[in-house]
Amino acid sequence: MTLALVRPDSWNLPLFLHVLGATLTFGATATVAILAFAGRPAESEPALWLRGLAFKIGLFVLVPAWILLRVAAGWVDSKEFPHHEPGWVGVGYPVTEGGLLLIIVMLILGRLSARKRETRTAAVVPWLATIYLVALGIAWFAMSAKPGA
Amino acid sequence: MNLYDWLLFFHVTGAFFLLGGIVIAGILNFVAIAKDRRPSQVASLYGLIRFAVPLIGAGLLLTLAIGLWLVNEADYGFGEAWIVTAIVLWVLAGSLGSIDGKYQRQTGELAQRLAAEGDAPSPELRARLRNPLALAISYGSGLMAFAVLGIMIWKPGA
Repeated sequence: MTLALVRPDSWNLPLFLHVLGATLTFGATATVAILAFAGRPAESEPALWLRGLAFKIGLFVLVPAWILLRVAAGWVDSKEFPHHEPGWVGVGYPVTEGGLLLIIVMLILGRLSARKRETRTAAVVPWLATIYLVALGIAWFAMSAKPGA
Repeated sequence: MNLYDWLLFFHVTGAFFLLGGIVIAGILNFVAIAKDRRPSQVASLYGLIRFAVPLIGAGLLLTLAIGLWLVNEADYGFGEAWIVTAIVLWVLAGSLGSIDGKYQRQTGELAQRLAAEGDAPSPELRARLRNPLALAISYGSGLMAFAVLGIMIWKPGA
């Protein structure tokens, strides 16, 4: 039997916003991946429409969700570890900041793929989204299981 | 890493599956109703919602099963108000989600039929998509699941 840790009340709001942002980021990234995979075959009639939707959801849902995730992460980190953060917290930063780069590339390629039916970028976007889903999975493993803590 | 850490990881994984699945279904549903779309477009979007269903199902199972194990492992009481409230909300969210799932499947089938019969805009499809009761059930069940997330973090009364 393990006694659960009790955290100060002042950490709850930033932690809630951080986890909320993370779940929204996960769901929005998965939606982009689903729409981009569905829009990949150039011969399918709704291909350009589905790719355009993937781009819009990336821009209007994924980006705000990522901002919520990242800002709340900094907020809770500053409260919980004001001086020195443990290794498992450090896993989150490459996933969020490297993830931003991935999202930007995904948005640019997503916009291009929504303009032209026959384009290789249409094959790249769903896989970039899938890679980011795996990275998010690694981060939630580090944040919840806290290996090495 | 001890048993508690592993249980917490699988519990959080369940929460990500459940809430992530709800976000996928919510976004695709919103896209379908936000504009007057052709039946074929509605059918495409509702067809894609099926990818969220196994995530939501696995999430529901993992959050409850591992959550109950965690209550025992972390020495919480099964009668504590925040745990009872979370379970009640979990059951309500799951039940309403199931009702919503059946309604959306029928709407998807109607959209497919209309798409095959000429793909003309249909008042019947529009009415089903914008049925206020169905939307309240759909988005209500999602909000309840997110409320459980809040309860898990604040643990009121613990």
